[in-house]
Amino acid sequence: MSTSKAMQQSFALRFSSGAFLAFWCLLAAFPIFWIAIMSFKSPVDAFAASPWDVITGPATRANGDGLSILDIVLGLCVLYFAVRWAFTRLPELVRHYCPPGIIALGWIFGALIYAIGFVLIFFGLLPLILGPLNGLLGPLGTPVLGLTTEHYVAVWAENEFYRNFLNSMLVTAGVVTVSLTVGTLAGYGLARSGSDLAFWLLILALIFRALPHSVLVAGYLPVFINSSEILAPIFGEGAPTLYGQPWAVIAVLVAINQPFTIWMLRSFFQNIPAELDEAARVDGCSHFQAFRRVIMPVMWPGVITTGLFSFLLGYNDFLVTSLLLDAQNQTMVPAIAGYFNRETTTTDQVEAVAAAVSITAPLFLLVMIFQRQIVSGLTAGAVKG
Amino acid sequence: MQKAASDSGGTMAEIQLRKVNKRWGSFVGVDNFDLTIADQEFLVLLGPSGCGKTTTMRMIAGLEDATDGEIIIDGKVVNDLDPKDRDVAMVFQSYGLYPNMNVYENIRFPLKVRKVPEAEHDERVRRASAMVELDDFLHRKPAELSGGQRQRVALARAIVREPNVFLMDEPLSNLDAKLRVSTRAQIKNLSHELKVTTVYVTHDQIEAMTLADRVVVMKQGKVQQVGTPTDIYDHPANTFVASFIGSPAMNLMEGELRAGTFTGDNVSISGLTGPDGPVTLGFRAEDAALATDGAGQITAPIYTIELLGDATMLTVRAGRQLVSVKAHKEFRAAIGDMVSFTVPVPICHLFDQQSGMRIDQQPGMRVAAT
Repeated sequence: MSTSKAMQQSFALRFSSGAFLAFWCLLAAFPIFWIAIMSFKSPVDAFAASPWDVITGPATRANGDGLSILDIVLGLCVLYFAVRWAFTRLPELVRHYCPPGIIALGWIFGALIYAIGFVLIFFGLLPLILGPLNGLLGPLGTPVLGLTTEHYVAVWAENEFYRNFLNSMLVTAGVVTVSLTVGTLAGYGLARSGSDLAFWLLILALIFRALPHSVLVAGYLPVFINSSEILAPIFGEGAPTLYGQPWAVIAVLVAINQPFTIWMLRSFFQNIPAELDEAARVDGCSHFQAFRRVIMPVMWPGVITTGLFSFLLGYNDFLVTSLLLDAQNQTMVPAIAGYFNRETTTTDQVEAVAAAVSITAPLFLLVMIFQRQIVSGLTAGAVKG
Repeated sequence: MQKAASDSGGTMAEIQLRKVNKRWGSFVGVDNFDLTIADQEFLVLLGPSGCGKTTTMRMIAGLEDATDGEIIIDGKVVNDLDPKDRDVAMVFQSYGLYPNMNVYENIRFPLKVRKVPEAEHDERVRRASAMVELDDFLHRKPAELSGGQRQRVALARAIVREPNVFLMDEPLSNLDAKLRVSTRAQIKNLSHELKVTTVYVTHDQIEAMTLADRVVVMKQGKVQQVGTPTDIYDHPANTFVASFIGSPAMNLMEGELRAGTFTGDNVSISGLTGPDGPVTLGFRAEDAALATDGAGQITAPIYTIELLGDATMLTVRAGRQLVSVKAHKEFRAAIGDMVSFTVPVPICHLFDQQSGMRIDQQPGMRVAAT
């Protein structure tokens, strides 16, 4: 618009770069897009030879599961307004009704109410209105797009995928908590210390970071298997066997992740001028108070960015979780791999696809919520670090 | 401790530094610093960068440990005390403001961590912010303020606690020239009003001259001279102080002293007292006067001529040395013209050529030993 003439690109350049961008987005987004569609279709449609059939889903429609044009239009409207409200009205309401001291709590509360409200309207009220309306409208009310949620119900309820979900949450929460607690303290200490020991500790961390994950698993495995004997002198008869437990996985994943978090947080801390510590110390803080009240509030973007990477490591890990966990403690990623491995019907395959789609949802949510901090964290690291 | 913090009127904040040293390995940062700073005194540590002035201040604050020697504040040895227990407030060169808090919270922070009764906070924050004229900016974040405003927030944060000692580490060096002058005036006024012992670090000799009750000139960790600004300006202890203080720096000419007569390139001044031998003679540009009839002690060609507005600065080449002289603002001449000027004996300073130390002529002068 206000780009100067010298900076304007020729039409050919703009067209070709736009076209390439569109092509590349399509290529990158295609797998996610495709499995999302597949997961809502009956197995016949999901594995149909014609892509058009996969998208429209005639067999699913024939089973009686489909959306009419009215359904689609109204559904999209509700979705659009839901998203718009989440970004405009919701922050306003939270800011208005929440006392400033507990703003974080207010956000959690607001988001929870909002989510419940959305589920009630979208899955409760909408079908209730649309049922009679579809009957009245004739051609506009007849299903055109096959869509079924039966695979999600099957995976989450019948296959008890929620257990895997809870296990995943336990493992990731453990990994993130331990990594960040140790990482912030160590990163701060190492960033502020100029001693040789600090340097060698960092080099050591780098070496551990370079080790293949399987080496760490192999190192821990005998200890975990024999842990009841090893721990018996301390805990007596009731000493637990750690093998198969989420705690074992947390320990190994933290060992894998910790060097990285320490390095990353250290570079964030180094971007915070030491004058800030000193000002706090002179103003009346002890060492730890200066860290907690002055440095940490400035560090949030760094902590959140590092926390996200730790989360992804724990959440997406396959090797460690598949080797160390027994069946009832299995997390989502190895569980999905298990679905695909079963030599069974196409229905199971589509259920596995539905499970794969469901595990991406929390990631989207997480990135959406923390996008501002993540961006500022990543760019701060990129520019200054 | 809290009592002292909220009630500085009753305490004497005399700072004594007893043979304080700071070494990093074999590198000597501060060498045998020995000084008593009187209660309510405004002391300026002055020197080029790397002379140990900031290190000295940081040792008083407790941010740096003294290798040996004693630091005594208000009669108490504080070497092993945390910065927070020394009851000092510090203003940093690049402000050190807390970026996540607004101005109000920044100023209030020391009261909060020191657990001053909540009821007093608002009044004290507002009083401090009024003193530095920040009333209208209390709800801004530091990032939304100009450099001068940020430095005033740092000042307000220091005075809100009413501490025993103020430490200021080159507080004006990040400001532009005009703002520096006005903030300097503000600091002078504040220190007069608050009557708190202040240690101020700077490399700017004008700041030192304008603000200080006493100035400590340092070089490479060693104290060169301690004295009032007038002392330091009029009776520099050695050639380093002479050339560091004043704008332009004192003219220093090398030559021979024989029977009270100094002879150098194009120079001959008689009537001086001092031992015979090689000496350095110093005088200030404004103390020399142009001799209209060509009968001055220095006669040399003009090297350059600069108009300052209130005066004309002449630089002449006397042998190997350049010598500056301040002339009347109406004076005009061309480069290369010969000029002659007189240097009255009472304003001449003699320094030993080897050591650079002052050769004392006038009795009753205070010169610090190094």
